[in-house]
Order: sequence, then C-alpha cells, then structure tokens
Amino acid sequence: MKENKEPSKKAHAPAQNDPPPGYYEILEISVRELLTEKRFITADEFRHQLEVLDSRSPALGAQLVVRAWVDPAFKQRLLDDSVAAALEFGIDQYDDTDFVVLENTEKVHNLICCTLCSCYPRAVLGLAPAWYKSPVYRSRAVREPRMVLKEFGTVVPDDVEILVSDSTANLRYMVLPRRPEGTEHYSEEQLKAIVTRDCMIGVALPRV
Amino acid sequence: MAIIHYNPARFAVGDILKIVERYPVGHYRVPIYMRGKQVTVTEVIGKYIDPETEAFGKNAGDKMWCYHVGIKQTDLWSDYTGRQQDRLIIEVFESWLEPVKN
Amino acid sequence: MSTEILVKHLPNDVGGRMTDHPPIDWTDHPMLSWEQRCHALLDVLDYHKIVNTEEKRRGTEAIGSEMVSKLTYYERWIVSAFNILLQKGVLTPTEIAEKTLEVASRYGVKL
Repeated sequence: MKENKEPSKKAHAPAQNDPPPGYYEILEISVRELLTEKRFITADEFRHQLEVLDSRSPALGAQLVVRAWVDPAFKQRLLDDSVAAALEFGIDQYDDTDFVVLENTEKVHNLICCTLCSCYPRAVLGLAPAWYKSPVYRSRAVREPRMVLKEFGTVVPDDVEILVSDSTANLRYMVLPRRPEGTEHYSEEQLKAIVTRDCMIGVALPRV
Repeated sequence: MAIIHYNPARFAVGDILKIVERYPVGHYRVPIYMRGKQVTVTEVIGKYIDPETEAFGKNAGDKMWCYHVGIKQTDLWSDYTGRQQDRLIIEVFESWLEPVKN
Repeated sequence: MSTEILVKHLPNDVGGRMTDHPPIDWTDHPMLSWEQRCHALLDVLDYHKIVNTEEKRRGTEAIGSEMVSKLTYYERWIVSAFNILLQKGVLTPTEIAEKTLEVASRYGVKL
C-alpha cells in the first residue's frame, strides 16, 4: 500500500497549517472548482454531502445490531426489510443502494467483501477501512476466508459454515453478529460498546 | 391493442444454472473466478440497469433481473482448505446465466 | 507472450488471484481531507448522473494495470472522474491544465 502523508485535521477545506497539496489534491480542487464554476454542481450540495458522509459511522450499525439483540420483533423486521428497519432509526440509504443484513447463527458465519472494487454498507458503517479496499483482502477473502479470519484473530468452529458474500451489484451487506454469552445483564450502551465495525463486516466477533 | 413489454424473471430460487463463459471487453461485474461455474439461485433480487451499459452512461430505461447465486467453496476452488460446508454468494445479472444442459 | 489477458482480465478483478497467502495490513489509515472531499464529490456527480458510480468504476479499471497498481484508491477515483468528464466534453484538456496551474500557484506549489 502506498504511504499517505500526515493527515490533516477534520476541517475539509485546505487550511493554513495543512501541508501543501500534492498533485492529486490539486486535481481534486481543480475539478470541483471547474464543475462549480460551470454550474454542474453547487458548493452547497457538495458541503452537504461531506456532512452526510461525516454523519455515518459504525455507531449506526451497532444501534441496529443491539436493538435486534434486545427486541426479537425488530430483529425480524431487520432481516425481512433491512432498508425499512434502518429508517426506523432515521438511517437512509443516501446513494440508492439496497441494504441487507446477514444474520450469523450457530450454523452460519457471514463475511462480506467486494472483490471488484470496494462496495461497503457506507450508510450504516461509514467509509470502509483501508484493508477492506486492499487487493490482498479482496483476493483472499473469497478463496481462503478461514485463514483470513484466523490471521485477524477470529476462529470459526469447524462445524459452522462460513458464507462469503461478494458484493458485485446493488446490495450492501452488514453482518448481524450473535449476541455473546455473558451479556444477559448488559445495558444497551454496554452492548453497543462491544459491537465493533469489524464484527459487522464479519472478520471479528463481539468480545465480552 | 398496444403490446405491453412484460419482463418477468427468467429464473427462480432453486434453479441450477451455469455462469456463462465469455469475455466482455471494457467493463464487467462477473469476476473471472466465477466464469463457467455451476451455481444455485438463492434469491431473485430485483431489476436494475445492466451495469455493463450503465458504465457507459445509461442511467434510466429498461432494467435487467439480478439474482443471488450460491456455490460451495469446494466446487469453486480445487485447492480449498476450509470446511466442506463453506459457501460463497454473489450477485449476477440474468444475461450471464444459462440453464445447465442435461 | 500473449497480452490478451490484459484485455480480458480487468486489473481490479482480483478475486482468488493471490495464491501465496500474502499478509493483509490490518492497520487503520485515516483518510486525508482531500480524499474525503473526493468521495463527496463523486457522490454528488453520481446524484446528477454527470459521472454515475458505474462509470466511475469503469474509469478506475480503464486506466490500466500499471496505474491501478501504482495509484492509491482515491487517486484512481479522481483520474477516472477527469477521464469521464473529458470523454463527455464537460471539461477540456486545456481547461484542466489552466485550472491546475491556477490552483497550484494559489498554494505556492510548483506543478
């Protein structure tokens, strides 16, 4: 993977104390300004989209998982129509993709990937981690998922099926991990704290 | 009487199909590792614009059925070292699927 | 040596290609500001269908295997966006050349 420069702070426009823009940043600024000047896009809608992206993070997915754990009726709605269930929490699919939740059971462990590019459930998890977009993960997840999980530190028992979903079209998947034993008395906040991004991709299990 | 262009899904859940072995140039969404493989339809997902033409600017108009198809990993990779029951699911458009000739 | 594989097998189509188990770098790499802006920009272009998401994907494949391997993820996105905008006549090569010079000089950077 290529080295990245020191990342700037959260502010989106290049600020005084940022390092000088490299070639590709100059390209990005140039195309955005040209398109805005020519009125193909507006500065307002671009800023709005930055805010939309900023508002999405794994905390949203964790909300859905935890509610499914504590409320069996919600869990059924989540599995039957994930888009509608997410909307109950005000989480919309802003880019018109279809959202589908895959349930881990005692028989099946789900793992998601996108071998062709980086399709990822951004509406509920935010932007994808670098490793998910890497050619190595995309190549190996479909061919040797057990080895990949083991390298991450996750062992799936021999009698459990690993089901890999390669997102090649409009569906975006999120894994609903199993609620671990020993969490029966956890509050919703405590449960959300153990539902990490990596559990909802399928490379990890929630840890008590 | 006007002819209504009705576009039903050609395949159904449980159908055993083959992913066509052909080589488009320019853009495709069927990975090479799936070409020519025998799969089972697990879900009829819905209709979407064919990505091969969407990639060249088609944004509206007629849509194509897309399916979830599954395959056992041991049928996909001759050297698969995981468990016998492991599977893979992928989304494939109708133009890439054909019935298995028996 | 036949080169047809370069035409038939797109450089992004990596599923199952690595058989020597190379390690995955699990480190989180925070996104740079310009990368976040690039992502938001391409989303807006998709909403308007100026560059739809599938066109952008096709563009990141069409740059060829050398650029796919040497450019980072968002570097490929922005180059793809430019190529498609040029193909559609939304921008011209000289407009891009002049704007990039103007932006570079604004930041005191030599292009």
